[in-house]
Amino acid sequence: MHSRHFMNEEEDFKVGPRSQKAWGVHIATAFFFGEAGAGLYFVSQFFDFTIGMSIALLMVLIGKGGGHLVHLGQPMRGWRALAKVGTSWISRGLLAIAVFVFTGALHVLNLNTAFMPQALSALVSLVAVAACLVIMVYQGFAMSHSSAITLWSTGLMPVASLTYGLLNGVLLTLVLGFNTPLLNDHPEIFQLLQAAAIALMLYGLVMVLSLLHGAKYGSEGGQKSVELLVRGAFAGWFVPVVILLGFVVSALFMSFAPRNLFSMIAVAGTELTGYYAFRVLMFKVGTYDPVMSFAHHFRR
Amino acid sequence: MAKWGMVFDLRRCIGCNACAVACKQENTLPNGMFFTKTLSEEVGVFPNVTRIYIPTICNHCEDAPCERVCPTGATYTRADGIVLVDHDLCIGCGTCVVACPYDQRTRIESEMLEQGLFNNGELTPFEKQGNVRFTAGTVQKCTFCHERVDAGLDPACVATCPTEARIFGDLDDANSKVRRLIQEHRGRQPLPEKNTNPRVFYID
Repeated sequence: MHSRHFMNEEEDFKVGPRSQKAWGVHIATAFFFGEAGAGLYFVSQFFDFTIGMSIALLMVLIGKGGGHLVHLGQPMRGWRALAKVGTSWISRGLLAIAVFVFTGALHVLNLNTAFMPQALSALVSLVAVAACLVIMVYQGFAMSHSSAITLWSTGLMPVASLTYGLLNGVLLTLVLGFNTPLLNDHPEIFQLLQAAAIALMLYGLVMVLSLLHGAKYGSEGGQKSVELLVRGAFAGWFVPVVILLGFVVSALFMSFAPRNLFSMIAVAGTELTGYYAFRVLMFKVGTYDPVMSFAHHFRR
Repeated sequence: MAKWGMVFDLRRCIGCNACAVACKQENTLPNGMFFTKTLSEEVGVFPNVTRIYIPTICNHCEDAPCERVCPTGATYTRADGIVLVDHDLCIGCGTCVVACPYDQRTRIESEMLEQGLFNNGELTPFEKQGNVRFTAGTVQKCTFCHERVDAGLDPACVATCPTEARIFGDLDDANSKVRRLIQEHRGRQPLPEKNTNPRVFYID
């Protein structure tokens, strides 16, 4: 432990790429629940699937909210994060979460009790979907908002968030909707979701590889990040879990496995495991560029 | 209104780290926290090998990404260009830490304030009077010693540097030493490709 600590301090005093340590597992967990929950709500609302919508609201409120609160250094002041909606994606995200939970809960309640007039109900459902779309993408924007970490600083990051969010939503709907009237009475919905899942897996795979490609040729810090993922300390997690389990195995399962609840759980389990690993690894390998990119030109 | 900035003369830096010590003393920084660091690296091929020293500090950027991403407005820029953190507003989300391309921000963990200099849970009198300036769970960074600057003094690191490798002054004053050095030696900003327009320049 001491030697490891010592080595980290040594790295901090070298001219060279340095790892970010501010964001870690807690915020990765919050991002995981945020994208999975918002994606589930989006797909569930499309089919008025109240079980999915209810679970999605809990995932965002408890999973995402809890992850963020555990991460914060001063959680009791967390409400202050609403102050800078004009410039900060964190503020925009928090506002979207508040609006989503409120309007989403109203919409679910209304589906069961029909207490709202039709026009108001349509407006509330529209606002809930808009807020859940913001939750699906804002995390990508928050990561790419600054050019500090090349791996994150790309326009692909919000698209990757949206892709993962939709994919998680489709797979969780297939699991939660299995043996319910949603999928039992409408086999065409199952086929639609199955096709969407496979398409999103292929798209997501290309997206993740594009992220790596852009980072590798972007800067020294980006190159270091990709090295850590592909050949370095995290290669044992990235390739087998994020790529193989998260995309390849889950796509093969979805394509060829028999249509039963176990298969759906297996597909969702492998994909969500890959996705969680992706979120954690994105933070673990986040690397700053060398502070002085021109340092080597001095005193030659 | 002055726009404060700093010049690092890399010909003069000897890597003694007196600046870091003066900074820790002036700001009573706890263990594990530095507002300024002197990075070093060996360059060249034997027998023509040398060691370079690169002092680093918060660059008080004109287009500070830390200020832009802060969700509470805790990070702000004064009229004289000094970027500060209001720790009464900071929620410790760390967004500014990952947004700073120069890795110049640190979140104070409670252990840093409780463990003490000797890592035994006992605080020295120096730490007891100094730790009240910090709030655990919030982010801190170099302040350009703004209290000293407001009193007409140089930042502690500048005043301490034995080789005068650090020069502090008004970037808007065409006759100031920092402006003259930057112009004469073609001062370079760190990571200009990040579009932050730092107020710290390096000359060689």
